[in-house]
Amino acid sequence: MAVIEQFKTPKPLSWLLNWSRKYSLWMFQFGLACCAIEMMAASGPRYDFMRFGIIPLPASPRQADLMIVAGTVTDKMSPAIKRLYDQMPDPKYVISMGSCSNCGGPYWDSYSVTKGIDQIIPVDVYVPGCPPRPEALMDGIVLLQKQIENEDIHEKWGERDRQPV
Amino acid sequence: MIVDPSVAMHLSDAAVSVELQSGDMTLNIGPQHPSTHGVLRLVAKVDGERVSDVQPVIGYMHRGYEKLSEVRTYPQITALVNRIDWVSGFANEVPFMVAAERLLGVEAPERATYIRLILTEMARVSSHLIFLSSYPLELGAATPLMHALRERERILDLIESVTGGRFHPNFNRIGGVKPAAGAGATTKKASQDLPQGFLDETRAAVENVLSVCDDMVNLVAGNEIFIARTKGVGIIPAEVAKSFGVSGPNLRASGVAFDLRKHEDYLPYDRFEFDVPVGENGDCLDRYTVRLEETRQACHIISQAVDTIPSGPLQAKVPRIIKVPKGETYVRAENPKGEMGYYIVSEGGRGPYRLKIRTASFSNISLLAWILEGALVPDIIAVLGSLDFVLGDVDR
Amino acid sequence: MTDSPSEPNEEQEAPEGEEPTPIGKDRSELAASVAQLVGAIAHTSDFSLAKVKVDAAKWAETITAARDSGLDFFSFLSAIDWSKEVAVGDPVDDVDSLQERYEVLCALGTTEDDRYVVFSADVSKQGAAIGSLVDVFSGADWHEREAHEMFGIDFQGHPNLIKLYLPDAFEGYPLRKSYPLLSREVKPWPGKVDVEDMPSTENPEAGDAAQPAEEAE
Repeated sequence: MAVIEQFKTPKPLSWLLNWSRKYSLWMFQFGLACCAIEMMAASGPRYDFMRFGIIPLPASPRQADLMIVAGTVTDKMSPAIKRLYDQMPDPKYVISMGSCSNCGGPYWDSYSVTKGIDQIIPVDVYVPGCPPRPEALMDGIVLLQKQIENEDIHEKWGERDRQPV
Repeated sequence: MIVDPSVAMHLSDAAVSVELQSGDMTLNIGPQHPSTHGVLRLVAKVDGERVSDVQPVIGYMHRGYEKLSEVRTYPQITALVNRIDWVSGFANEVPFMVAAERLLGVEAPERATYIRLILTEMARVSSHLIFLSSYPLELGAATPLMHALRERERILDLIESVTGGRFHPNFNRIGGVKPAAGAGATTKKASQDLPQGFLDETRAAVENVLSVCDDMVNLVAGNEIFIARTKGVGIIPAEVAKSFGVSGPNLRASGVAFDLRKHEDYLPYDRFEFDVPVGENGDCLDRYTVRLEETRQACHIISQAVDTIPSGPLQAKVPRIIKVPKGETYVRAENPKGEMGYYIVSEGGRGPYRLKIRTASFSNISLLAWILEGALVPDIIAVLGSLDFVLGDVDR
Repeated sequence: MTDSPSEPNEEQEAPEGEEPTPIGKDRSELAASVAQLVGAIAHTSDFSLAKVKVDAAKWAETITAARDSGLDFFSFLSAIDWSKEVAVGDPVDDVDSLQERYEVLCALGTTEDDRYVVFSADVSKQGAAIGSLVDVFSGADWHEREAHEMFGIDFQGHPNLIKLYLPDAFEGYPLRKSYPLLSREVKPWPGKVDVEDMPSTENPEAGDAAQPAEEAE
């Protein structure tokens, strides 16, 4: 799609592409710890996030464009996370769910915990909580969708090699 | 040229068996799984469909609990400890609290122990509902997940109405339980208590859970495919289970009738009548039916406790800043996953000198290398699911 | 053992005037009988914990004898690091009379009744080594690997003493008292800072052990 680099996308086309992307996010199942249980509950019958278009839940990163990192990230697991993130095709988004992946959380002083996933991969939305309620996660997803809606495809394309903060 | 079929088969057999002499393939399962177990890695040497050797690699969720608890005070550790077995949050706090109270010489008042018991049994129901829903999902059935999660949400609502948290309640205090969330009173010396309507809603929720258990029997337990995949698979003999330290429903499915609720006195289980389900063979189907029956028995205990809960204070008198006197003690409890215990070595400070956490899932999966030798690749999934472990419990 | 737990009649009494009996089961007979069976050095049974101290040189034989006498459920195996100088947390109560050592614990139970005994053996810090229990209980495999990587104790006869939890590149033995938590050294916990008290949610009768932020060091 080098067409994107050459021409500035006209507004209706950009709106259409953003709209189709934000309502069909394919979420990569990446639940690590307790937040994964809340993520499961968010996909369950009561707080249903499938109505936002987040189906199916592919187990392979090659087919996903949203990764929700839910749970504590340890130093042993970080290279695997980086590899999985790299395997996802662009454009990709990351939501960091829970305080363990935001900043290390209650294990901030442990010898084996990475203090936040944003040390390894770039994050778009942070959802605080320990664990965040399913409604909080859905709020984070809606926020991401708003972010996608207002996105400029040109800029997103140029960002494809962005590094973590 | 017409080939005699029997000769042809002979030839093809010979060709195939020569090919099968080739070396094993190393199949790496994990650490990212499409299942709720978390980050477990299995390095399996497979020969076709047969597994010849499995080495589990754990530690991807190691957070260093035992070191962290050396720099924290007892109330801070309570907030941390319910994240070990993150599916049943409340049940992790209770043995730790009882151990600290034992060293202090303080006994929680009766009402507090009843509340602890009700919440522990609710945590057990919640944990087993996750198992009952995710185990068929791994074997291919997607509907029980929705049924069980619907009821689990109701149980979590009840836990939340009392404690304020869905599954990390942080509700225990040394000497009892915290005055309940949502009780509303702001005047001093008010006896804050369980929220209104809690007991009735609990009874209703228990009825719903029992009906879900019947649904499970109809949907899953009688299903031919389910039985074919789980009967005779992953048999654990009783001697092997005891030697590895396997506890909980896994041990009871192997025929050993040992339940810590009947033997230990950390909560007043001796006032309630309940059966301990025991399996016969120790295969995956037995583990499933034992847990299904345990859910029913837990509901039975909850309804008995709700009917006979006494009134009284919620917390014994303890000083403002807790300093636990010198001593060592160990309290073990029957958690939904198995035996969980806390070995506290206290030197009189505000935090322990050494806290050793004995978790059930660590011992439960230490026999993976033994049990999966010679199994088929799909059986790995069936056995892993039936052992019902949680990686936070394994790695701490 | 150098640290003597308080006797039952010196425990803090429950304030409501209950009788000053220790809480929990009385395991003194169990401790005495097991100690006699295995030929132990000492035994205690305070706080409902039957603890039997044995000689580290006869570790495997002692545990085998215990297993053959009916304690065939393997609960856990771990260690305690008794040190005078600690990098994290508070030191022991009476530092001067402490004998520095690793105390290896092995807890066994039974599935018939509520017997539960913890065996302990002292291992010196220099060249910490003790016999492995893999031949006695298969479950000791992973527990010994964990104790090895956390404390640095060598279990002689263990077939595969490699790291269990930590990544391969990790250096050091985390649960030793001399291992610091670097995050705490960079940024210490603020402790009780001057904040306004929450309006009238304090219940002075129940004791404010509930406020975790105030209890920090």
